[in-house]
Amino acid sequence: MNVRFLLVPILLPIVAGVLALLFRNRQGKACAWFCTAVTATQLAITASFFGQEWNLILPWGAFGWQFALKLTPFSNFILLAAAVFGFLICLYSAAFMNGKRFLNQYYGYFLFTLGLVNGAVLADNLIVLLFFWESLLLTLFGMIVIGHPGAFKTAVKACIISGVADLCLLVGIGMTIYLAGTMTISQIHLPVGGLNSVAFIFLMIGAMAKAGAMPFHSWIPDAAVDAPLPFMALLPGALDKLLGIYFLTRISLDIFVLTPLSWLSPLLMIIGSITILLAVMMALIQKDYKRLLSFHAISQVGYMILGIGTAVPVGIVGGLFHMINNVIYKSGLFLTGGAVEKQAGATDLAKLGGLGTRMPVTFLCFIILAASISGVPPFNGFFSKELVYDGALEAGRTWHVGWTFYAAALLGSFFTAASFLKLGHAAFLGKPNTDPAKVREAPMTMLIPMIIITALCILFGVWNALPLERLIQPILGEHRLEGHTFAGWPASMTLVILTVVVLVGAFLNHLWGAKRSGSGLGAADHIHYAPGLHPLYDRAERRLFDPYEIGLKITNGIARIAWGIDRGIDYLYDTAAVKITYALTNGIRKAHTGSLFAYLSWSLAGLILIIALILGGI
Amino acid sequence: MNLNGILTLAVVVPFVGAFILPVIGRWSERLRNGLSLIFVLVSLVAAVALIPTVTAGRTLLVQWAGFNLFYADTLAVFMAFVSSLVGAIIVLYSFGYIRHYSWRNEYYFMVVLFLGSMMGIVFSRNLLILYLFWEITAIACWRLIGFFREKSYVLKADKAFLVTVFGALVMLLGFITIYHQTGSFDLGQIQETLQGQPISNLAVTLILFGILSKSATVPLHTWLPDAGVAPSPVTALLHAAVLVKIGVYVYARLFLASWTIEPVWHTIIPAIAAVSALVAAGAALLETDLKRLIAYSTISQIGFIFLGLAIGNEIGIAGGLLYILMHGIAKGGLFLCAGIIEQNTHTKDITKMGGLIATMPVTAVSFLLCAFSVMGIPPFGGFFSKYMVMTGAVTSGQIAIALTFLVGAFLTIIYLFRVFTLVFFGESKLAVRPLPAEGSPVMVFSVALLGALSILSGLFINFPSHFVQSAVQQIIWVQSAVNQILGFIP
Repeated sequence: MNVRFLLVPILLPIVAGVLALLFRNRQGKACAWFCTAVTATQLAITASFFGQEWNLILPWGAFGWQFALKLTPFSNFILLAAAVFGFLICLYSAAFMNGKRFLNQYYGYFLFTLGLVNGAVLADNLIVLLFFWESLLLTLFGMIVIGHPGAFKTAVKACIISGVADLCLLVGIGMTIYLAGTMTISQIHLPVGGLNSVAFIFLMIGAMAKAGAMPFHSWIPDAAVDAPLPFMALLPGALDKLLGIYFLTRISLDIFVLTPLSWLSPLLMIIGSITILLAVMMALIQKDYKRLLSFHAISQVGYMILGIGTAVPVGIVGGLFHMINNVIYKSGLFLTGGAVEKQAGATDLAKLGGLGTRMPVTFLCFIILAASISGVPPFNGFFSKELVYDGALEAGRTWHVGWTFYAAALLGSFFTAASFLKLGHAAFLGKPNTDPAKVREAPMTMLIPMIIITALCILFGVWNALPLERLIQPILGEHRLEGHTFAGWPASMTLVILTVVVLVGAFLNHLWGAKRSGSGLGAADHIHYAPGLHPLYDRAERRLFDPYEIGLKITNGIARIAWGIDRGIDYLYDTAAVKITYALTNGIRKAHTGSLFAYLSWSLAGLILIIALILGGI
Repeated sequence: MNLNGILTLAVVVPFVGAFILPVIGRWSERLRNGLSLIFVLVSLVAAVALIPTVTAGRTLLVQWAGFNLFYADTLAVFMAFVSSLVGAIIVLYSFGYIRHYSWRNEYYFMVVLFLGSMMGIVFSRNLLILYLFWEITAIACWRLIGFFREKSYVLKADKAFLVTVFGALVMLLGFITIYHQTGSFDLGQIQETLQGQPISNLAVTLILFGILSKSATVPLHTWLPDAGVAPSPVTALLHAAVLVKIGVYVYARLFLASWTIEPVWHTIIPAIAAVSALVAAGAALLETDLKRLIAYSTISQIGFIFLGLAIGNEIGIAGGLLYILMHGIAKGGLFLCAGIIEQNTHTKDITKMGGLIATMPVTAVSFLLCAFSVMGIPPFGGFFSKYMVMTGAVTSGQIAIALTFLVGAFLTIIYLFRVFTLVFFGESKLAVRPLPAEGSPVMVFSVALLGALSILSGLFINFPSHFVQSAVQQIIWVQSAVNQILGFIP
């Protein structure tokens, strides 16, 4: 095949996206099938790339900029994953979005997003990467804003948070190019330390914000409520994670060489651990299906960052494996949420209940997906979490903090399991709160993507050698793995036993909580209203800890100072300058008394002065 | 026609043509409008015609009776191209805007004179000619800002006039200082006499006064927000095409493309620009008057241009020049959108607007496209210029300045989203129902054109980036002589 085929995964969706925008609103169905066909083609094309390694360099602008693309095993993997989820979610949207407004825009932005993500992943030039990466801001804005008339606030929030992070990425890229002396990503291999670490941090901010780690997370729960649901499955659920973690891995493995002994490694692990714990604690108390899931979309990133931050092979492999696993079950979970929303007409857990018998397929998918995210063996999430635990313990020994990071991750698993037990119980079991006759199983086009995704969870768990040995381990390369393979059953039985103990603990905790409060929804109330936690939760719910709100307050403070300086300067012109001029002219006017004697004496004094000057000059 | 003739026409046609417009206007409005557009287009076409020659590395020199009058290199042609392009679109927009008001003859006279003088500044080879055209723009600007003749408006026009003319007089002192140092007002001769020696710091300080007052940089900036009382196409002209760009252009012309300055200025000027970018961006966040808000944005963005030009490395200079183009297009678009909004809603207070996207979709989308470009989001043109300027700052190693601009860039995103949502989204707070509709077709077409140019200039970055690269190469060629003498590596 010609190397120029590399342009197809970028151009095909973008051109098709322009065409999608040309559809009329009432042609929504046609538009949906057109886009499904495009994403299917896209999937076929990316699948055919598999195993190739290509380089494409085209001229692009002056100053030695090159439009360089490179297909590596890693980019190939991300490309394929993006195509799979693009296709499945597009297929799902056909039924879910049917009858909604701005369908042509929805599908247009959908396809643009796919093309831009592919561009960013394939880019082998930092400016090309930044170009595609930042362009995603536009589709982010577009896809949220079409949600409903009030959604613009969330769209703006998302864009400001991402825009600020992207500017940091821009600065980081500028620094990296300067430090490396080249823009070609595959030629950059910088050690960390000194100025290089500063550049790394700027790039890291960009990557983590894309993946949705704290403190760049707070738009995600808002978007869960305001944006169309497939958007959540597509971006925060799948593509954002793929792209963010892809770039984080690239900067830790090749662009910079992160070592376990660099102080950047614990920095990443701390951010990862905090993200896991705080987000999952918030997830636990949510009372809305989609909002609850969105906090998990944040929390799970913590495991990936923790894994990659360890900078040891087992942790990195675990982090990457967790990335793809999370993409699978998280987008799947969002899709079950969409099915519930579409069929039961609500996502507020207080209005749901007893859906299990009415929507058995959805319920079954939910059970398996929730078990995967909670780390129940033998589903995929279990295996990747065990690898991350292993890495966290190893890095803990390096930094003499023992099992601290491991404990954070394990505690996260406890709350994850607890919150999914609560969610499943409240939505699918218990007494129905809606008229059961009205609720039916979701249509076929929605079920198929959910079933495929659920099957992937089982496949990647039971046969984890497939993703690990085919897709993930080649990314690290033989020189790092030294013949190890991480496939198969976890190495440490102790860790497995601890995991099982924690899961059983979460189950018992749920039974006790549900019995105490009398409902599935209230199963976490004893944690929510625990002394000490309750005031914190209360403040968090009032957004007092939202970094965005805090940031805006700081910004407002800067603006006020700036305003004061500006008005102060203006006062100098408008008032002070005028007053001084008047004072001067008044002084001179008063000197003009009309007295001939005074004028004559001035003239005489002036004459004497001039003569003195002339004489002095000679 | 020979190239020198084309160069002369680019200046003379709008400058002289402006004087016959009021005469024709008494006879036919349509002809006057058409002619004013044609005069500006002559400059545009002339600039385009000169592009192949100058980018090939040649320069043009027009002499008159042995006196060096006009000079064209890539930098000059680039600036002429930007100004006349944006200027032509603004003139086109004026057809729709200004027909509601009286004094139209004077309006077109002043606008075309303004653009003609700009061409004069851009191409002039002599400091005195440059000064002459500089002051003519101040007069045109004074008449145009006070165009609506209300007393408070006239006072604001006076303020703009006084500040810029004061700056220009100080700059003239600087020119005289240079004359003392070198014995000439001719740019080329000064360059030869100096032989790569930097000009005196006194002269730089004095000239900077003029440049900073014209380009509205803190603390000489407050006249610019006040100038928002002018008709909207005029504010667009001031902010996007002509007035504030004069300062940055003359900076590039004198201190980059002609002479050299002491390396210490590569820190001082970016530091001034950083303060300006931050203060103005902060003020923009709190301002509630639509046109004043965009004016603060201009002040802030001019800071980015100065940063690029003055930081002292190639990528920064290239970014600064590219910024002139991208900002011109996008800011012009924002002001013209503001004009449509202001004319149809009869208010400039953004807190009293809202929901206008429903009735003004084209204006809203154009506004958003231009805003994205100013924010520096790809694929808009502003992305490339912002990237290059920031990279220039990072590369210079002046981290404090780079971080200040980073904060300035954050604020840019925030205040532009704020104004966009307040004007176009949410519940409308306007008293009139139904909400005001779009402006006249020619106005809407103009803003849509600028919005489209914002995105096209980024998608087809090849052309502008090569254009700028050629200009930078000529500049670097001048600078390199000095770098060897001073041992200063950019």
